Amino acid sequence: MASQNLDPAAASSTAALKGNETAGSVSKGSVTKRLQQELMTLMMSGDKGISAFPESDNLFKWIGTIDGAQGTVYEGLRYKLSLEFPSGYPYNAPRVKFVTPCFHPNVDENGFICLDILKEKWSALYDVRSILLSIQSLLGEPNNDSPMNSAAAELWDNQEAFKAHLHSTYKN
Amino acid sequence: MTENSVLMLKGLPTAWDTVTAALVSPSTPPVPDEAVSEALTLLCTKGLGQYVEGWLLETLQVSLVSDVAPEFWRGLQKPDVESQEQDRAKALLEVFRTLLRRLQPFLCGLERLGSWQDEGRAGLVGPGAHGLRERAFSTIRAILLFSPPPVLQQRVLEFYSRTFSVYMSQIGEQVEPDEVAAESDVNGTCTGCTATPQVCWCQDALQQLQEFSHILSRLQLLERVSSEAVTNILHRLIEQRMEQRCRGEYERSFLSDFNDWLEQVLGWLSRVFASEVGEASTSSLLTDGKLDYVGCTILQRWRCHMQQFFCRIYVNMRIEELFSIIRDFPESTPAVEDLKFCLERTNQRQQLLTSLKSAFETRLLHPGVHTSDIITVYISAIKALRELDPSMVILQVACQPIRKYLRTREDTVRQIVASLTGDTEGCSELASELSRADPVTLETQDSEDEESDPEEWTPDPTDALTDKTGSKRRSSDIISLLVSIFGSKEIFIDEYKTVLADRLLHQLNYNTAREIRNVELLKLRFGESHMHYCEVMLKDVADSRRINTNIHEEEARLPEEEQPPVPLSAMILSSEFWPKLKEEKLELPSAISKSMETYTHRFEKLKAMRTLSWKPHLGSVTLDIELEDRTLTNLSVSPIHAAIILHFQDKGTWALDELSGALGVPQELLRRKLALWQQHGVIQEESTGRYSILEKASSRERPDQGIMLIDSDEEGDSNTTTQSEQREEKLQLFWAYIQAMLTNLESMTLERIHSMLRMFVATGPGVTEMDVNELQAFLQKKVRDHQLIVSLGVYRLPKTTQ
Repeated sequence: MASQNLDPAAASSTAALKGNETAGSVSKGSVTKRLQQELMTLMMSGDKGISAFPESDNLFKWIGTIDGAQGTVYEGLRYKLSLEFPSGYPYNAPRVKFVTPCFHPNVDENGFICLDILKEKWSALYDVRSILLSIQSLLGEPNNDSPMNSAAAELWDNQEAFKAHLHSTYKN
Repeated sequence: MTENSVLMLKGLPTAWDTVTAALVSPSTPPVPDEAVSEALTLLCTKGLGQYVEGWLLETLQVSLVSDVAPEFWRGLQKPDVESQEQDRAKALLEVFRTLLRRLQPFLCGLERLGSWQDEGRAGLVGPGAHGLRERAFSTIRAILLFSPPPVLQQRVLEFYSRTFSVYMSQIGEQVEPDEVAAESDVNGTCTGCTATPQVCWCQDALQQLQEFSHILSRLQLLERVSSEAVTNILHRLIEQRMEQRCRGEYERSFLSDFNDWLEQVLGWLSRVFASEVGEASTSSLLTDGKLDYVGCTILQRWRCHMQQFFCRIYVNMRIEELFSIIRDFPESTPAVEDLKFCLERTNQRQQLLTSLKSAFETRLLHPGVHTSDIITVYISAIKALRELDPSMVILQVACQPIRKYLRTREDTVRQIVASLTGDTEGCSELASELSRADPVTLETQDSEDEESDPEEWTPDPTDALTDKTGSKRRSSDIISLLVSIFGSKEIFIDEYKTVLADRLLHQLNYNTAREIRNVELLKLRFGESHMHYCEVMLKDVADSRRINTNIHEEEARLPEEEQPPVPLSAMILSSEFWPKLKEEKLELPSAISKSMETYTHRFEKLKAMRTLSWKPHLGSVTLDIELEDRTLTNLSVSPIHAAIILHFQDKGTWALDELSGALGVPQELLRRKLALWQQHGVIQEESTGRYSILEKASSRERPDQGIMLIDSDEEGDSNTTTQSEQREEKLQLFWAYIQAMLTNLESMTLERIHSMLRMFVATGPGVTEMDVNELQAFLQKKVRDHQLIVSLGVYRLPKTTQ
């Protein structure tokens, strides 16, 4: 009977990044490998409403796109984000912020996001896909206890008014 | 006018008469030379000498127009069509004889006048004998042959054809095809004149030919009258001969044969042009047909003409047949060599290219031809055309359509790989080509040019394709050419990997000697690094054998009751290095899975940090079935078949959906798999969807129902995904990337998309790079499907998908 023997070392070697073979340190090489792999996972997952891709030939800077989830006030709105990966990734969290202005209790006027998994609760097990999914769900379920945008936090309870304000200020 | 002059004037008419009579009627009682001289002197002193010449030519012309020419044509017409050929020949000769007789007096007179002029007798001046002759002959040609009726040509042609065949038959060469000649021999006719021996007029004919030539030559009409007929005959004969001997016959060289024949023909020609060949050879003509004509310009001219003509029609014929010649190569080597010789002497390369290209297109490149046949012809073409044209230009240009077409066939790669490894019958050439090639020359192929002597450099023929690669790149190596059809060897190596995987997984006996040899040979061609995956595959097989032996030995040492219920042998593959295997779900019966687990444990002990992930649907099971009244032994079936029958061991009757649940296999597939056991008469379908075991063969109703139960092994032929499936997967992957980058980066040009893909899509087994053209075609297809929009060369996603 035939069986397949999975060899993890071989698995990563075949995912070697093209064009990065000359890249300097070993650690940087492994980060690009990881990011390459994450990109592949994201591509293959086929999630609707979230997406991301390297901005240019620099694999450490990505552009992300999140569509507001159905049934929330953000439905029909599309937000662009920027993701920057430190050289210590995945042991250090990536810097993620909104590029499209976002009226939300946990997002400030500069687009910075208050989300635990991007800060103290970051783990190397998270990846781009889980970050984007978390942010997508944060849109519909804000944490009003520690608002960065208090006006938004106050308005949140009145969904009708929130939605009206949101849509009037939304510009892509 | 003085009295003296009057006296002299009286003498003038007499003097004129004397002179003219001496010139035109030498037959009448000859005028004493002194009298003529005297009369001539008299005429010249009176300034009348110059008119003699004009008068003589005028007389000739008048005589020709009024008598000689009409008589000539009448004589030619006289024997009508029903007459005997022999009579016609005689008549032809007769009219020319008469012509000569009639003109003879004038010619003699001219001769005489000319000699007087040459001597300057009595102060006579003029063009001289030679000049006068020229003028007289142009007059004759002008009047006689100004617009000759076709009958002259017909007669001359007939006469020459006859004398030609007579001549050829006398020196032992038959003009007619052999069988016709043999037939006429039986009838007792002469091969030369086709008359019965009693009335054979071969000798007459040859004598007539000689006389005829002589007369024509005397009248300087030989070239004028004969050339057309001779050319005609020779062309016809060469064409005939070519049709009879060469057409469809590629295994013999015809050049030397033709040259021998040409020598004989020249013998005949020397008779036709005998008088001009010279006196010396004319005498030798009668004794033997061959003569030393070297130095005879007229024969040399004819020889060149015939060679040229031969080459041209030979090339024409071979161009027509080139496809067949290529198909029959290497048996047709002599034909190719002849063609090469002749092609160098005629300017017909372009014609050859055009014709060969269209022959390929009409005869080879259509859906009715099997890919392997196309490849076989292509290989023959490579071999034949590199003989024909060592510069490889013809090969490159003419085979362009084949290469283009092969690119569109899906199974091309598989066919080539299969024949490389000697899998297919018939096309074993590639396998021998692979083992034959000298790897050293392959390695240095690129630097070959620098090494060769610059003195020996020859420019490309003008019809070469003007591509950047130049002559250096024009390889004639068959395998390189085939591999380059697709532009990259990666495709080939991938396909070879698939084929290799199939072969290894099909035999399951760990025997890799042959595959190792193939891989080594391919390594010489494609380089070590490219064949790395294949090496790992072969090593996997070797390792599997070792591990198996190891585990089996270990099991053998165990006490009876601890031994696994089912003995297993595993093929252990390093998944990263093998082509993708087909995925199918199959729940194995617990006994089997238990054995597998045990095996896995033992493996994990042997190889720390590794484990096995089983592919239960692949492989083969050997089993014996014991039924009440019979036993089926040593059946070799696929795992799914085994799993099915194993379930019937515990329970005699199963419903289809029940069994499908137990095995985790779709019902439709299961139904097809059950067919095998139905065919073996082990299981029967009681009612729709209910199957039960047949313990007694006798209880089988109507054993030969004649129902063809189709076993479903049709897709089981290959364990690996096919090239096109892989391609489809690859495109899906690329599309996901393209969508993502356009979602985030809004709009991009083709070049940017391409470079992004190159940068970020990890290449691995099954995922090869996409070139710009392929990508563009793919994007355009998406545009047509409204999944993309493009404006000003910038691609973006349509709003609706956002």
